[in-house]
Amino acid sequence: MLAFELTVQGLVQGSIYALIAVGLTLVYGLLRILHVAHAGLFTLGGYFGVLITNATGSLPLAILVAMVVVGVLGILVYRLCYQPILDQPPYVALIASIGLFIAMEEIYRLVFGPFGISYTDAPLTDTVTLATLNLKQGEILTMVGTVVLIGGLAVFAGRTRMGAAWRATVTDPAMAESFGIDVIKVRYLNFFIGSALAAAAGVLVALLNNLVEPTMGSVPSYKALAIIVLGGLGDVRGTLIAALALGVIESFGTIYLGTILDRDAIAFAFLIIVLMIRPQGLFGRA
Amino acid sequence: MEYTVTLLILMGISIILALSLNLITGYCGQISLGHAAFYGAGAYCAAMMTKAGIPFGVALLAGTALAGALGVIVGLASLRVRHDFLAITTMGVGFLFLGVVRKQDWLGGEMGIFAIPDPGLSKTAYMVLVLVLAALVAAFSLYLKRTWMGFAFDAIADDEDTARMVGIDVPRYKLTAFAMGTALAGLAGGLYAHDIKYIGPDSFSFIESITILSMVVIGGIGSVPGVIFAAAALSVLPQWLQFIAEYKLLLYGGLLFAVMRFSPGGLAGMARGMAARARAGGAP
Amino acid sequence: MFAWKHSVAAIAVAVAMAAGSAAADVKIGINVPLTGFAAADGKSALTGAQLAAEEANAAGGINGEKVELVVYDDQASPKESAPIATKLTAQDKVVAGISGSYSGATRAAAGVYQAAGTPFISAYAVHPDITRAGDFVFRTSFVGEVQGRAGAKLIGGMLGKKRVVMITLQNDFGKSLAAGFREAAGKFGITVVAEYPYSIKDRQFGPIVSKVKADKPEAIYASGYFFTAGPLVSQLRAAGIDVPVIGQEGYDSEKFIEIAGKAAEGVIITTSLDRDSDKAETKHFIAAFEKKAGYKADMVAASGHTAMKVLIEAMRKAGTTDKKAIRDAIAAAKVEASTGTISFNGLGEVRKDVQVQVVKDGAWHHHSVISDPDLLAPPSK
Repeated sequence: MLAFELTVQGLVQGSIYALIAVGLTLVYGLLRILHVAHAGLFTLGGYFGVLITNATGSLPLAILVAMVVVGVLGILVYRLCYQPILDQPPYVALIASIGLFIAMEEIYRLVFGPFGISYTDAPLTDTVTLATLNLKQGEILTMVGTVVLIGGLAVFAGRTRMGAAWRATVTDPAMAESFGIDVIKVRYLNFFIGSALAAAAGVLVALLNNLVEPTMGSVPSYKALAIIVLGGLGDVRGTLIAALALGVIESFGTIYLGTILDRDAIAFAFLIIVLMIRPQGLFGRA
Repeated sequence: MEYTVTLLILMGISIILALSLNLITGYCGQISLGHAAFYGAGAYCAAMMTKAGIPFGVALLAGTALAGALGVIVGLASLRVRHDFLAITTMGVGFLFLGVVRKQDWLGGEMGIFAIPDPGLSKTAYMVLVLVLAALVAAFSLYLKRTWMGFAFDAIADDEDTARMVGIDVPRYKLTAFAMGTALAGLAGGLYAHDIKYIGPDSFSFIESITILSMVVIGGIGSVPGVIFAAAALSVLPQWLQFIAEYKLLLYGGLLFAVMRFSPGGLAGMARGMAARARAGGAP
Repeated sequence: MFAWKHSVAAIAVAVAMAAGSAAADVKIGINVPLTGFAAADGKSALTGAQLAAEEANAAGGINGEKVELVVYDDQASPKESAPIATKLTAQDKVVAGISGSYSGATRAAAGVYQAAGTPFISAYAVHPDITRAGDFVFRTSFVGEVQGRAGAKLIGGMLGKKRVVMITLQNDFGKSLAAGFREAAGKFGITVVAEYPYSIKDRQFGPIVSKVKADKPEAIYASGYFFTAGPLVSQLRAAGIDVPVIGQEGYDSEKFIEIAGKAAEGVIITTSLDRDSDKAETKHFIAAFEKKAGYKADMVAASGHTAMKVLIEAMRKAGTTDKKAIRDAIAAAKVEASTGTISFNGLGEVRKDVQVQVVKDGAWHHHSVISDPDLLAPPSK
């Protein structure tokens, strides 16, 4: 029974990882950028979630606004920060992104204060009991929300014209351009979707912890990188599986390996072992 | 005066550290996001040894050797992965190092190592030692660039497959770069431990790895004078920026971003650009 | 190369001199984290210390001279705090210093202060080695071990709970609390059923909560800070675990109650600030701090205030700015402060009672006081 509970808890954590990492892998797939500042947008999503819920009392409205506003900001980050340095070696964008992330964390601290903010009347805190399993409504929403958002993304990519253009661009940008696809527009779309998903993750984490701090993004900033590498860099399906797998591994690891290695070290030990066996990631093609 | 000496020691250590990563990342083109692990390995090794009564000089060398040995192991593993996969693997090595150290009580665990013995030098003498070592590392870096090995590194950094085709033994040179770079990071670690006299897991965190890489990239990847300048400036920047207390890290982050965004070649690139413009402007 | 290095040195000197040239009466140095992850605690500690300095100045200063606080941000990092301590002692010529920072940074600074023969008081860092830097270093807060032992007495002796699960924060704070708790556990008939470590970065405790539920303890001894303990306690309660949760001074903030909400009710902690105190000093501090800071006082704020107050009182007693005389006056101090009556043992560790607080109706309130000099004896060498 414990094993089942640990698995479910791992999936809750894995869902959050998935929402963050999908945006990151989309950016990597299209532009070969390790977009660390993505975690800063995730944190901003959390701030919007709490502030708007506290102001209006409506969580769905908060999620919607957070996703749209942060999505647009994601486009701005691309346009102002990355586009001018796309032709540079990859470490240039990486360091720029890290600098941007540090600056974002500090701005949040200066604007919203160092103590972090919480919901004045935290929504969805009631517990649902299934046999021996107690889950907060917020945890259920996290899992369901992830399935809905990622499922929606899959439908969008597979069934719409815009989605087809997007997939074509990821596979072969030059070819896509020659077919008349506006590559720049696809990149905007890419950043919008990725950032909006991260914002949704931010609101959900705020709900689970009832706390948004300036440094909320610091763990996702590097762990999401590990996940997209595990998933095979740029591979959305691989990233999803890697995120959920890592959530579950950390969940069991915390209990059974906690005295030897901490959570981060467990995650990275797993990453290194996988890469030594499969240098292209769990699902990447060699 | 004493404060200036303290800052110069910090600068010297950062210069050694940044130049050590410059060998791996700048010369050989292998991005490492886990360099603090080797810095830490050297620091822990040297500190444990002087605490056990072993002379400072021996401890410093042992720390250097241990870090280099770990570097070879990680280097061997890193031969399997390339580019961004390598960056993330080295980041993992950094986290693994921290995770292991945190749980080792004989290494002080979470509590760290306190009261590391004084190396028996005056503060000024220690500064001279650090600066001389930094100058030697700089001279070695400049010398290396002119050797066959330096050429091979360049070729690998440029394009690994081409390098292999022209008959360069890529794995051997990559391993050499890792061994030299990580050993020098260990040296810097030993110097750091005996300067601050306290080390703990948080002294060698991911942030530290990022800071080192920032020094290399801001200075201008591969450029020895650029990296020296960036290391010296960035290491004391938090102290100089005390007057803007609350906005310090914001400015630091903003600076990292701005240099990359507006001068991707780092300070060295900026200087080259200015020199070129000056020449062009000077011509009638 | 060489000319270049000289010019860097020259810039360093020039900048340092410009920063340290303000004319002053009597200078006290303080290193606090104002940026980075520990900025919240730095803000409280600094505001507390500033309040004590303002109060002293309003009352005529120290022996006729005004107090000036020289503040530097150390980001809670030893790499920053060691040069800062050098700057304060060698350049700014402070007569004494205070650390409003965490253990690593405080330890690195303590060695510098000791070498400079300048008195130094740590406000709330817990690591036992800090005062071992030498006879010029003092601490006005509990070492982790002492508070851990108090926690054992609270659970085993006062609440009568014997089967305990420990949830331990993996840093010097959590580790030293755990060591003290285990040391005294046997004395109060406590069996530690299991201990689960977690990292300061964790906010999601699902796996640990699941396991604790299976362990069925009678009480939980969980170390942490408000930002880890808030989510932890609310997750424990949401999973239907309703046994007492015992924490420590790291919980001691209004923010803990804000985060945990209803789940915070009944949580008991060992700390050093009594919200319902009838002592004039403590009452006055709680009111004055809220007025100055705009938020309610917490343990860190009270600790910053206490450290500063002890130092000021000692300097008044010493009647001189001679650093050795100030050191002796601190060592002999017996000062009424917001966190209790402060006096030191031979190592410079504080002797005071442990305040036990409980969350009732959404606020911290008095629960009891642990006053047991043997159990609470700090390390003396």
